Amino acid sequence: MLTTTIGMLQSVIGGLAVIFTYTLHFNFFDVQTMLNITSELLPLYSFALIVFGSFSIISGLFLLHEGFESR
Amino acid sequence: MLRNLEKQATEGRAEMGKEGLRRELGLLRATLLGIGGTLSAGNFVILGHAIGLAGSAIVIVVISCGIISLLTMFSYCELGTIIPSAGSEYTFAKVAYGGFTAFITGWFEWLSNMFYAALSSVGFAYVISYFVPINIPLTAVLMIIIFTIINIRGAKEVGTTESLLTLTVLAILAIYVFSGWLQSQAMSPFELSAPKGLTGAFQATAFLFELYLGAEAVAVAQGEIKNPEKTIPRAMILSSLALIVIYTTIVYVTVRTVPPDILGEQASPITYVAEHLMGKLGAVLVTIGIAIAGLAAINEAIMAQSRILFALSRDGYLPRALGRTHRRFSTPHVAIVVSSVFTIALAATGFINFIVYAVNLGFIIGFSTVNLSLIKLRRRRPRLRRPFKAPGYPILPVVGIGTSLFLLLFIEPAVLIMGLELSIIALLAYYIRMIGYTRIRLAFGGLSLGIGGFVALLAYLVRSGFISLTPNFPAITNILIFISAVHVLAGILNITVKS
Repeated sequence: MLTTTIGMLQSVIGGLAVIFTYTLHFNFFDVQTMLNITSELLPLYSFALIVFGSFSIISGLFLLHEGFESR
Repeated sequence: MLRNLEKQATEGRAEMGKEGLRRELGLLRATLLGIGGTLSAGNFVILGHAIGLAGSAIVIVVISCGIISLLTMFSYCELGTIIPSAGSEYTFAKVAYGGFTAFITGWFEWLSNMFYAALSSVGFAYVISYFVPINIPLTAVLMIIIFTIINIRGAKEVGTTESLLTLTVLAILAIYVFSGWLQSQAMSPFELSAPKGLTGAFQATAFLFELYLGAEAVAVAQGEIKNPEKTIPRAMILSSLALIVIYTTIVYVTVRTVPPDILGEQASPITYVAEHLMGKLGAVLVTIGIAIAGLAAINEAIMAQSRILFALSRDGYLPRALGRTHRRFSTPHVAIVVSSVFTIALAATGFINFIVYAVNLGFIIGFSTVNLSLIKLRRRRPRLRRPFKAPGYPILPVVGIGTSLFLLLFIEPAVLIMGLELSIIALLAYYIRMIGYTRIRLAFGGLSLGIGGFVALLAYLVRSGFISLTPNFPAITNILIFISAVHVLAGILNITVKS
């Protein structure tokens, strides 16, 4: 149960990070101005968020897989 | 692996003879197949954006794309005749390199076909939207669902119908070109202009790279082609050359009739120009032609992506479940459904330009691998029987790789980041199969702990005022602590996995 919950939370956090990266990149809802993000630093933030998001999703999926297997 | 090549080639040739299909496609019909496999509704829609980038120099861009594609088509022909049971980049890479190179090629081939299916469906919806006020993402999704069902039930790959449909589309396009040519006689001489300079022209080339994709459909139909060792290479090259003429005349007439800056704003520039040239009836006619091409392209892309996923599963790279076939229809239904779910998610966004760049990224990788596979097999197996030999070796394949990779510089950065992500996932999927699940989980456990620790440090720095956020979010520290806690716990759970 703990494994499934943590796996799900981690995957959701990762997924939100990826969605946020694309929102930031395409400047939906004028989010770049809202967060005072300059165009020079945008690639760095995007890269960091994408790496964080991807790792979180994969790690979370491992835990989810284990959670479902043990049922 | 290389010893297996002769065996595979022999088996392939034998397979060609016992598929139970009658060999009735000659050079003309095989060429039509290559042309039909390439014409897609998406191609006519994306011309608008490309014209906006390159201006009237789009004519040169289209010819350049055709030449780059032709360079790889030669390699395709040679490999297709050595490994006749295949016909895809994945199989070529499997025979020439094997291992991770084969897997990553198959992976990107699957993804680019998936993106291509999304592009074709969104393109189809855009074309129809010129006359009928429809919801573009919803229509695109509906089309994918319909063709997924058709593919699960089993679609006949090649036939007389496809040749007739291609001829119909070509006839409609010929009427369009002829009308434009007649009207252009009374105009001032044509002038090439590129408002965004050379960079704009290169961006347009990277954007239109996928224009000529699909001529390899000839290789897929080899079971029905007369004298395939000779006919397939000829048909592939002839269809590539014919496509260069078709696309060049279409864009010439288009930019000649309506100024490029107006075309760049049109959802379906060809339909817009057709209405300008031939009135409402002409626009309807062109819409019908493009829609026919679009429907065939959606069907082919869905079929292709599921077959690659099926092959990757059959070769042990992906879970076995993806290789299951339907009891009643004998189709790889799991692979079809899985691929279609991703395609639907993509098509639902309606971001046509993003999807186009993604298609191009996948095919640039695929094209580079085909050329690399040719070079590798020429060096390792120089005496292998080659019914067709790619001309200009090694210069042309190297130029093919160089030009394809050069276009990567002009692809949307967000798509390149996504490509990097997809490569990481591919690497992971491959190594999970190769070096074991437990080790990978241990590595991810460590990474999660590291991220958790880093986020905790970040939370501390924000709370203590070392890092100031503008605008200030009071809840940010609590959010960061929560993320850190989840990652630390996930790290511990992943590390304590039982092997």
